[in-house]
Amino acid sequence: MRAALDRLYDAAAWIAAAFMVGLLAMVLLGIAGRQLGFYVPGTDAYAGYLMAGAGFLSLAHTLKRNEHIRVTLLLSLAGPRTRRALEWWSLAVALLLAALLAVFSVRLAWQSYAFHDISTGNDATPLWIPQLSMAIGSLILLVAFVDEIALEASGRRGRAAADDQQHVE
Amino acid sequence: MSDLTVTALLVLALFALLGSGVWIGLALSGVAWIAMELFSSRSAGDAMAVTIWGSASSWTLTALPLFVWMGEILFRTRLSADMFQGLAPWMNRLPGRLLHTNIVGCAIFAAVSGSSAATCATIGKMTLPELARRGYPDGIVVGTLAGAGTLGLLIPPSIIMIVYGVSADVSISQLFVAGVVPGVLLAALFMSYVVVWALLNRGAVPPADDSLSLRRKLWASRSLIPVVLLIGAVLGAIYAGIATATEAAAIGVVGALLLSAVQGSLDRRTFVTSLLGATRLYCMIALILAGAAFLTLAMGYIGLPRHLAEWIASLGLSRFELIVALALFYVLLGCFLDGISMVVLTMGVILPTVQAAGIDLLWFGIFVVLVVEMAQITPPVGFNLFVLQGMTGRELTWIARQALPMFALMVVAVLLIYVFPELVNWLPRQMRATA
Repeated sequence: MRAALDRLYDAAAWIAAAFMVGLLAMVLLGIAGRQLGFYVPGTDAYAGYLMAGAGFLSLAHTLKRNEHIRVTLLLSLAGPRTRRALEWWSLAVALLLAALLAVFSVRLAWQSYAFHDISTGNDATPLWIPQLSMAIGSLILLVAFVDEIALEASGRRGRAAADDQQHVE
Repeated sequence: MSDLTVTALLVLALFALLGSGVWIGLALSGVAWIAMELFSSRSAGDAMAVTIWGSASSWTLTALPLFVWMGEILFRTRLSADMFQGLAPWMNRLPGRLLHTNIVGCAIFAAVSGSSAATCATIGKMTLPELARRGYPDGIVVGTLAGAGTLGLLIPPSIIMIVYGVSADVSISQLFVAGVVPGVLLAALFMSYVVVWALLNRGAVPPADDSLSLRRKLWASRSLIPVVLLIGAVLGAIYAGIATATEAAAIGVVGALLLSAVQGSLDRRTFVTSLLGATRLYCMIALILAGAAFLTLAMGYIGLPRHLAEWIASLGLSRFELIVALALFYVLLGCFLDGISMVVLTMGVILPTVQAAGIDLLWFGIFVVLVVEMAQITPPVGFNLFVLQGMTGRELTWIARQALPMFALMVVAVLLIYVFPELVNWLPRQMRATA
């Protein structure tokens, strides 16, 4: 189970990374087109979709690496018991919000599909296709939070709050 | 319910969620959800999904992941390892000598990384031991490093400027160009301080290293110069109107890859770690931006920004008083929030106030970045202070005291751009003329 979950987060992150490369390629294609005089419709829109995909699909992986930031001031000052209570509270709130995000992201993609929602840009993409990345990414994030809660309950969760926020501006 | 109760309730909810350690992006959407449920008949969930999708896939934001990636690649080249050796020979003759490596090093690295904690840590790792070995006094070394580390936010390409540009709907290209003069100005202020300090404390600065011939100097900086040229090219392309911020970022990524290939530091492993590192860093920012986009929408429904603007207008503050109040507010907020969260959190609420006061949004962007920089070195919570505490093992209060002169210089810089707004506006206007 553990291995399967970790593979899920990592696989999503690899796809996200591939989308980053795709984003770069899309922007470069746009530049090349302008310089060389050919026109590929919708590179801007595709770049946006790929960026969104990169963000959503790496949500769970980033969470697992403790790189989503949170305010740790109180957590680091609190004693062990208060701290545990705060962790449970944070996880519960996060689970609820991740669940809401997942439900409504899936609903958005579903509605775009059902109503044949087409991008208003000149790419004319059926919007449910790029929106799948949001639906899938937020579902995986939900799984990751359930996973975190299970780990916390069994006392095997890494001490997230103790980490400093190295990458933050 | 009266507006005041509404506002108080939401602010309370926000601080409770943030303070208790809920991940920032989720906390923001949580507050937005409460606001939507209480004060709007629209389905909160559908509004959330549409808004987040719209902000996450917007073309203007695409510069962000690309610049993050460029930084991650350059971060893994020989640049940081060679920074001190490359800069030291040039700084020997200035009063204050190698103390300037802190400031110039940070200024160069700032252009690469766009994060002040990373700038502070990377440069400090090189300069702290070298300067200590030569006998430079601890206090000024740590102080200059703390101050100059914050240049990461101001000197483009800066992540926080992209975030501001997207939140406030200001051109990212213009923000970058507008940041150049104040960034150089601030670095110059820091350097002048070191010069004056060195002249006043003649005995404190150790003797110069052996001086090198020009060729040897250039050889020592061989891994610095290409990076400086790359950043120059990226900014130049934006300034000249040849490329949008996103296109310049894409060129920057390609340039950074070429550069690290030529230096021999590009292999499969560094490519993959920089790519995944960039994806995660972008993802972290994207989650905050997603929450903030939803919160901004919800605030719009309540009309909070409009009410706040009306309320502040009714106070009859002068523009200067307003600016001072905002500066204090940001420095206070910086006590427990990081720069990006501060910017996205406040923009949705504060912009109408700023516009009503007739403050130019481009200028305000540079102001906000400067003030956020100040917040990085103010106790009890400044990220640069934490970084330096980790590196030196000294007490936080001691580090904060060393950084105090730098803080004062930043106040001077803010006053300067207030009195002379042309410091911000002049360069972007030249750009508009050419574009």
